[in-house]
Amino acid sequence: MRNTLIALALALAALTGACSGSDDVLTVYSGRSENLIQPLLDDYTATTGVDVDVRFGDSADLALLIAEEGDRSPADVFISQSPGAIGFLAERGRLQAIDDAVLDLVPAEFHNADGLWVGLSGRVRVLVYNTDLVDAAELPDSVFDLTAAEFRSRVGLAPTNGSFQDFVTAMREINGDDTTLAWLEAMAANDAQTYANNTAIVQAVGRGEVPYGLVNHYYNLRALAEDAGAASANHFFPDGDIGALLIATAAGIVDTADDSGLAREFIEFLLSKPAQRFFADETFEYPLAAGVPPSGDLPPLSSLDVATYDFDRLGGGLERTTELIDASGLTGS
Amino acid sequence: MRAASPAPEVAPPPAAPRRKARWLPALSLVVGGVFLFPVAYLLWEAIFLGSEFWATLSSGDTLRPLANSLLIASTTAAACAVLGTSLAWLVARSTMPGRAMWRLLLPLPLVIPSFVGATAILVAFGPGGLVPFFPRLDGFWGAFVVLTMLSYPYVYLPVLARLRATPASLEEASRLLGVGTWRTQIGIVLPQLRSAIAAGTLLVFLYGLSDFGAVSLMRFDTITRAIFSSRLFDRTASLTLGLVLALLALGVAAVDRAVPRRPHHGAIGRTPARYSLGTGSILAVGLATTTVGLALVAPIGVFVAWVVRGSSTVGVGYSGLGDDLGFLLSPLVNSAVAAVVAAAVAAIVVLPVAFATVRRRRVAAGFASTVVTSTFALPGLVVALAIVFWAVRAPAPMAFLYQSFPLLILAYVLHFGAQTLQASETAIGAVPARYDEAARMLGAGGGKRFLTVDLPLMAPGLLAGAGLVLLSTLKELPATLLLAPIGFDTLATRIWAAAEDGFFAEVGITSLVLILLSGALTWSFVLRPELER
Repeated sequence: MRNTLIALALALAALTGACSGSDDVLTVYSGRSENLIQPLLDDYTATTGVDVDVRFGDSADLALLIAEEGDRSPADVFISQSPGAIGFLAERGRLQAIDDAVLDLVPAEFHNADGLWVGLSGRVRVLVYNTDLVDAAELPDSVFDLTAAEFRSRVGLAPTNGSFQDFVTAMREINGDDTTLAWLEAMAANDAQTYANNTAIVQAVGRGEVPYGLVNHYYNLRALAEDAGAASANHFFPDGDIGALLIATAAGIVDTADDSGLAREFIEFLLSKPAQRFFADETFEYPLAAGVPPSGDLPPLSSLDVATYDFDRLGGGLERTTELIDASGLTGS
Repeated sequence: MRAASPAPEVAPPPAAPRRKARWLPALSLVVGGVFLFPVAYLLWEAIFLGSEFWATLSSGDTLRPLANSLLIASTTAAACAVLGTSLAWLVARSTMPGRAMWRLLLPLPLVIPSFVGATAILVAFGPGGLVPFFPRLDGFWGAFVVLTMLSYPYVYLPVLARLRATPASLEEASRLLGVGTWRTQIGIVLPQLRSAIAAGTLLVFLYGLSDFGAVSLMRFDTITRAIFSSRLFDRTASLTLGLVLALLALGVAAVDRAVPRRPHHGAIGRTPARYSLGTGSILAVGLATTTVGLALVAPIGVFVAWVVRGSSTVGVGYSGLGDDLGFLLSPLVNSAVAAVVAAAVAAIVVLPVAFATVRRRRVAAGFASTVVTSTFALPGLVVALAIVFWAVRAPAPMAFLYQSFPLLILAYVLHFGAQTLQASETAIGAVPARYDEAARMLGAGGGKRFLTVDLPLMAPGLLAGAGLVLLSTLKELPATLLLAPIGFDTLATRIWAAAEDGFFAEVGITSLVLILLSGALTWSFVLRPELER
């Protein structure tokens, strides 16, 4: 027992003593997980000598954390997997404007109008389907077709998930609240199957539990990387349908950042060619800057609907979106 | 039940006045006050944001998921009470084959995070799964099976500890009087287990209320779904629903406290004989095999399948057998240190509350005990955000504590203190008052009595409680993600991150390492010291 206590004391001492390092340290709260960004952070430290301390977590939880922390927040940069979570901070005045030189690295539709956040990479909404159960020739042309009788009880979606909420918010911006609510209600009436998140839907489609699912394109490519024989494929809605919306991973500088110059340089690095190549080649995503094309398996960006979804400016914001989703009966079934 | 009570050993306390330590209720009040942080945060924020408490509470959108929460929590609690007690009795008291193995394996499912357990069960069973002929588990039954399989150790461990501390004398007397084996077990032994079973069952119930991972993946709509889905865009609703859950838990804990727990017939003595099961052995092994099969072997099978299948994206994430495992070393050490420290601190911190509650029965102690117990029903995210809320408002000299290791331990202790408290109260209740009296008459002071009389008798129960906190901390997510020192990742946070982005080979290998670590830690800190006594 005594030896155990000594070992514990030593471990504690090691833990508390481990907070030294070089002078330049950038603190990043990242809703993007380690596997999908750490190699870039290592490159950044190697080239600039700036250490990057990262707190990984769910985008929404980290946004809440920064809000609770107030002016005591250690975060310099917030990277959000969804525009909704970063919009939450933008709306509360917790982000600083990024200067135009950085914003202009991406097309205007990929940054916030007030320059509070800038997109880094994108994922596209798709209809994932089971290749054994669905004839590829009969795939629908629009997400609005999914309310038809032939899709009754056959479509999975994740109404409480951030990316579905982002998609609904964009639909509100483009098609209005009434059309959006009507679509949500029709999906509920058509017995859409609700799941916890994108991964759960792709798995359910892969094992044939439900033939179709509304998800981000990334998740099925990831599933195929783990299981090349999986019976699931992505269908991109054609002709700029809102069902093929691009959702950006975004970065912003927190208002309490110690050194906003350093934060700006870091974001600029994430928009540089090598970083954008990483998003294209290693994480199956759409690069948004530096003219880097997406990986060959993906349809070109120009064929997709790319909405200017400044959610934080939309009337009622995401609160209204969750109200509509709840009112439609999709949640709480 | 009542038939078991007339034992001469539980004579009322002697008339000689006890010197009552006044600091004990005061100290427990302080501990209870610290455990009020999460509820106080919910109240403060709900009032500040203008919560319409009654309107939110009485809406159908609240009542429906709330009823579901109560349903899943009470049914899993009942199932765990039966399963955990049966398994503990078989391991401690029967001649069931393979007891040493069952003893080690049976506590381990508690370490599997519920979202991973649910994912594994979904992948394992049903059409298109690894075992396609088995029915698909989904909805209420899916959540019921997963939560029962992952939480029966809350009952199993305390009851097992209690069984080791019951003396042989009563049972032997009963047998000598010609009472049959089973009637003796039900009439004499079961009543002695009652408070351990009640304590464990309460923990399962509270855990069932707090869970989000299993119920959401099994598509069973509960109050935690409502709390999570509105947490960013309707703070008021989310906090109000959190408050509803907190008040419900306080109510349940207070009612539980109001039910008197009679003192036990604890004693030091030989451990009672084991009972030969005869052909019943087959049933016993069948029960243990089914439990371990569903709760441990099925998930492990899925994890192994994921690892063997590997991943084709070499360089991003773990890509399968043959890949370097060095990246798991630091999370492994972090998990082990955090879990052991949290378990030890939790056991020590709640001990005064347990003592004051059981021995002194003061109102202050009862209040503290109720608060400590209820905190376990809150989702981890609520507990974590509450600590952030108070920590950033703490006076400047304490600012350095924010996102430090001690604050992380505080979060674990607040969230899981109920587990050691319930186990400690049971353990203290099992120490016969007459031993304490005898020691006092021999002139032993309070401290000496505690160390030489109380502590040795309570040890199995305290270890069981610490073991529960150890396993719970190993799988904890929200507080670790939000409050750990930056860069402090654990096996659980790695599993979560890998699962978020569909890196299943990595989920598999990390989960296997987590299960091995929990086995090693449970063995060294809980089971081995217990067996060596």
